[in-house]
Amino acid sequence: MTATTDMPAPARTIDTSGRLCPYPIVETAKAIRAMDDGAVLLVVATDPGIALDMPMWCKATRHEHLGTFQEGGAWKSFVRKRAPGGRP
Amino acid sequence: MTRTAKAIAMISGGLDSTLALALVRRQGIAVKAITFYTGFCITETQRRKGGRADGTVPRNEALRAAADLEVEIEYVDISGGPYLDMLVHPKYGYGKNANPCVDCRIFMMSRAREIMEAEGADFVFTGEVLGQRPKSQRRDTLRIIERESGLDGRLLRPLSAKLLPPTLPEKEGLVDRERLLDISGRSRLRQIALAEELGVVDFPQPAGGCCYLTDESFSRKFFDVLEAREAAGEERRLAPEDVVLLSTGRHFRLSPRAKLVVGRTEVENALLEHHVAGRARVEARGVLGPVALVEGEPTWEERVLASRIVARYGKGKDLPKVEVEWREGDLVETYEVEPEQDEGRIEALRV
Repeated sequence: MTATTDMPAPARTIDTSGRLCPYPIVETAKAIRAMDDGAVLLVVATDPGIALDMPMWCKATRHEHLGTFQEGGAWKSFVRKRAPGGRP
Repeated sequence: MTRTAKAIAMISGGLDSTLALALVRRQGIAVKAITFYTGFCITETQRRKGGRADGTVPRNEALRAAADLEVEIEYVDISGGPYLDMLVHPKYGYGKNANPCVDCRIFMMSRAREIMEAEGADFVFTGEVLGQRPKSQRRDTLRIIERESGLDGRLLRPLSAKLLPPTLPEKEGLVDRERLLDISGRSRLRQIALAEELGVVDFPQPAGGCCYLTDESFSRKFFDVLEAREAAGEERRLAPEDVVLLSTGRHFRLSPRAKLVVGRTEVENALLEHHVAGRARVEARGVLGPVALVEGEPTWEERVLASRIVARYGKGKDLPKVEVEWREGDLVETYEVEPEQDEGRIEALRV
């Protein structure tokens, strides 16, 4: 079973703990804009909605959702940036 | 077609906006979707409180629709001061409850216009259907919304386009009017048939809107806050924190200058704990019971009454006396009160 230890090292981590939906996704969108194609973003959240939202947001925006994992009361979501026209 | 057009889609993820998105995409038009966060969405609040009673967490339908159609989506947060000011002073008035739908649409579409301009897009489109809603989707109000948002001629309603004057993107040949529709009214039969035709299989059932402002019980609390402030000689206004509290707990108006909010669930109790600053935190001691907040300046009698109501909603409701802790910052007092047993009195205070 895939776990956070199997995930690539993130180039950037943002902690949205304590912030409720839709802010984890809003902050993800802002953070990933400044990253390089192929870099991995780790989003930490305490809002359980992220487990539903992140895969859908990634599908809509063409970024790659590597996995979202619950650890205690928090969720860790790994996203690989895919720039428009970048590698599939 | 003269060139590839680009459009901004305002979507909620409901059936109509999903269909509008699919219709415009089918014409080969590049689309960026936007969805607005107002702070008044019932589904969002349900998610914040840990989901439905059966333990499931409702989806964000706008994200789901964008994901299904593989359209880039941006969340636009409009929940701040200017939006709240509009809610308190709507130019076109309220609908049946606290819903200033026309002003709200103008507000959102003005923001959509700014995004359209920043993105270099040609037009904005929505899933609005002529005649579907009694106020905001009448022919005359659709026109007002278009004009006042500054989107004159650049606002397309694909589902009803053939019943409305041609828009600029249609006149410019960017959009093929013949492939748009002429749906009107409240029936959803044509939309359901269209969903099948377009392969849109996953959409929420029409639920009569997801906005707290259209909810009668919420509206009472909304106007209660405004009226109490006015009666206390304060400005008629709403703050972002009010919005969270309005959708949380049982509300009791003790006087124009004091209100009691009693948590109904553990999640609501936890939520109220985040809003203790500037308010009194009230909770029974020695017996399980809700967390409650009192805002304003209660008199001694109102403090006792609030404590009796808090005791009534705890496990000690049938005891002759309950100790209630009243905490304001570092100041802690304890009152020994009889739980309020007069349901008529409680109901008279309930907002």
